[in-house]
Amino acid sequence: MPIARVLLPVAVTVLLAFGAHAHAFEGEPALYEAAKKEKALTWYTAHYNSETAAAVCNGFEKKYPGIKCNYIRTTAQVAYQRLAQDQKAGIAQASVISSTDVGHYGRMKQDGWLQPYRPKNLSELIDAFKSFNDPDGLYVATAAGLVLITYNTSVVSPADAPKNWTDLLDPKWKGKLSIGHPGFSGYVGTWVVQMRKSYGWDFFKKLELNKPRIGRSINDTVTMLNAKQSWVAAGPSATTLESKDKGNPVAVVYPTDGAILMVSPTGILKNAPAPNAAKLFEEYLLSKDCNEIMVKMRQDSVNRHVQPLPGAKSLAEVKTIRPTYDEVEKGIPEVKELFRDTFGI
Amino acid sequence: MRWRHLDKSLFVWVLLIGVLLVLVVNPLARLLWASFEHGATGAFTLENYAAAYGRWRYLEALWNSLVLGLAVAVLGTVFGVPMAWAVSRTDMPAKGLVWAAILGTFIVPSYLGAVAWILLAGPNAGWLNRLYVWLTGAASGPLNIYSMAGLVLVIACYSFPYAFVFTRSALDLISSEMEDAASTLGAGTLRTMLRVTLPLTLPAILGAFIVEFLEAIALFGAPALIALPARFQVMTTMLWQFFEFPPKVQVAAAYSMPLLAITVFLFWLQRRIIARKGYVALTGKGGERRQIRLGGWRWVMLGYCLFVTSLSFFLPMLVVLQAAFAKAWGRGFGLDNITLENLRFVLIDQPITRAATLHTFVYGGTAAAIALGLGLSIAYIVHRRLVPLGGALAYIAMAPFVIPGIVLAIGFYAAYTTPPLVLYGGAWILILAFTTRFLPIAYANSDAAIRSLNPELEDAVRILGGGRLLAMRRVVGPLLKRGLAGAFILVFIPATRELSSAIFLYTTGTQVLSVLLFDKSDEGNFEILSSIGLILVVITVALVLAGFRLAGRDFMLKRTAS
Repeated sequence: MPIARVLLPVAVTVLLAFGAHAHAFEGEPALYEAAKKEKALTWYTAHYNSETAAAVCNGFEKKYPGIKCNYIRTTAQVAYQRLAQDQKAGIAQASVISSTDVGHYGRMKQDGWLQPYRPKNLSELIDAFKSFNDPDGLYVATAAGLVLITYNTSVVSPADAPKNWTDLLDPKWKGKLSIGHPGFSGYVGTWVVQMRKSYGWDFFKKLELNKPRIGRSINDTVTMLNAKQSWVAAGPSATTLESKDKGNPVAVVYPTDGAILMVSPTGILKNAPAPNAAKLFEEYLLSKDCNEIMVKMRQDSVNRHVQPLPGAKSLAEVKTIRPTYDEVEKGIPEVKELFRDTFGI
Repeated sequence: MRWRHLDKSLFVWVLLIGVLLVLVVNPLARLLWASFEHGATGAFTLENYAAAYGRWRYLEALWNSLVLGLAVAVLGTVFGVPMAWAVSRTDMPAKGLVWAAILGTFIVPSYLGAVAWILLAGPNAGWLNRLYVWLTGAASGPLNIYSMAGLVLVIACYSFPYAFVFTRSALDLISSEMEDAASTLGAGTLRTMLRVTLPLTLPAILGAFIVEFLEAIALFGAPALIALPARFQVMTTMLWQFFEFPPKVQVAAAYSMPLLAITVFLFWLQRRIIARKGYVALTGKGGERRQIRLGGWRWVMLGYCLFVTSLSFFLPMLVVLQAAFAKAWGRGFGLDNITLENLRFVLIDQPITRAATLHTFVYGGTAAAIALGLGLSIAYIVHRRLVPLGGALAYIAMAPFVIPGIVLAIGFYAAYTTPPLVLYGGAWILILAFTTRFLPIAYANSDAAIRSLNPELEDAVRILGGGRLLAMRRVVGPLLKRGLAGAFILVFIPATRELSSAIFLYTTGTQVLSVLLFDKSDEGNFEILSSIGLILVVITVALVLAGFRLAGRDFMLKRTAS
């Protein structure tokens, strides 16, 4: 549990030292003035669901009146497709891009679509996430979430729920298991890469015997559980907990062999029509204000001063695992093919 | 003097050619070009075809699409044609209700219907399965929406209105005298229907069959929701894969080529079948249309109509309503589970809903008007043989329907993001893509209408000294007005729910509701999804009804009330 060991003392110290007041960063007024002249920014995001994206945008507009925040929320692949279309056509629409497939950032960097910016608020970022930032400052980690085991509480008791990933291979879940598709979702792609790393491709050959329902986004699994179409799933922490808050009969299990930690970066486009607003927005994504909104939407905080709501464990308390950037970048295209061969779609 | 006698239809023809070049030929040519283009170097290559057909999985998806298309067309015809006959020609009760439910069906986007059907017939927890278990005590229900049969049912539910509307407009034009002649000669109701009425409506039924087939293989939303969990691919979901990171546009182009061949073949087939017989049945406004008395059978017919519309409209809308107003739809019905929060969110917290709603209907209406103008002009020119090579125009007008919206969008994208004509980023690229996509419906409808119109009526105008355009304005237009109102609706409605081309062509300022809905469908938030769906359905219904009222003709109930 390296993150737990690093995070907890740091968070406590910082909380004691600074208290809970909002932090303005150095140069904020000048950046805000410059951003106001640009009036609006467009943000392609795959980091959260639309409700969270809307809440983040609303919070930004409240904090910085006079700048309109337009979000376009899609899955990671679609966000990339849209951006690729824009770039090819020489059209500057988006100023900020937030994908969940880290492979996209390598490609965007290589193709020269991004511009460097080192946010002043980087000091607010949880230390353990700093390794996810680009060394050249082209993108920084702004969102975190988990892939874990989820289940419908009206048909599965907490005692019967799977405890670790290999429990999903138990024949008792045959026809009652739900997963997403790595060809659509960056979260699912990363999960598949990690499962292959931990248990070999055999894991998926055995999983296939349980005939899982395969959706597109990882958030599809929440729909499946709510409908009792599936009883257990490999699902996201945020959307599942948000659905639980609404009163749906779902719950999460933090697998004993590790929840997959998803740290997703944000970058500013080189041809951004609103470069200053984009920089201000990136600062905002790291800020305490924004992360307080995110934890309300059950997203995990990337700001070291913001703790999760009751009912969810903070990332510091959870055993997390994740593949390296390189493993993800190389691995996702590979597992997409393997996945299709094994599951036929 | 010479100008007066010149047949001005020539100019119209030249104009039409120009428009079709922009809408259909150029995007398709770019697509064809791309299929032979090397992704990186742009050099000529056959590699794309090797890549597109080199895998069993890819071929299987093509085959699945063919099976899907045929099955949907057959089931859609079985659903739609008897209903059209019942509403048009018999004394079945409650016709208004049936027609309203069919109109509602046509308005519900198939991807919204697919979500509803997942709730209704999901194998583990579908409401219908739960009902079955509760009634019989069996261990599990018999229905599984996650199957080819399930997908066929869902898509057929949302394409049978084509069969219904096409057949009904044809039936409405056949005078009872022809049926009377059969009765006089001793034929019974059934025999008359099979030997006289049905053959007369054959062109319409065939037209609908083809439209349903093509619609089914071009859909993306419903297969993405049902086929993927059911573990099979169709052509459109496969095409989606080719656009994944890194995108293989050229392979996708190659992959979509055989479908063009299928359309051309189907279209040729339809013409062959029709060409052998004379089908001029409408000779002005004369002729009486009387209802056939069904006796006790009228209740059977009503039962059938209500059964089909329950599958397509009543049951799915019940599920959507429940979810739109539920705090958590997983909790089922109950007073403590009702909230307006979802609607409040989509209307107030999410300002994009309002903009998208406006875009949806403005784009849809504009596209429908353009498509109808084009379709009618082409059909008229082709049938009256005003110009040489008119048949080619007809082929071009029918071609877009077989192109999956995604591919059409890519063709548009390839053609109109670079000078001389830059449309990407604005509203017109969506409007023109919608126009192109639904031009075949406008054309097929105009074609059926003009086919049934005896040219002697216009010849009378011309003998009396009127020009071709006068004949169109004073004779053709008024005679076809009712059919055209229907055709407008038939294009407008699918344009308001069009997803597959919109998803590639929209930009920040030009979002439409279908795109919002689709993005919600993979988010696990069915309450919000249903709320947006409900807004789309309610506004479309209101607009369509207002349209009927403004036009001063009660399209829905005319004749059925008499």
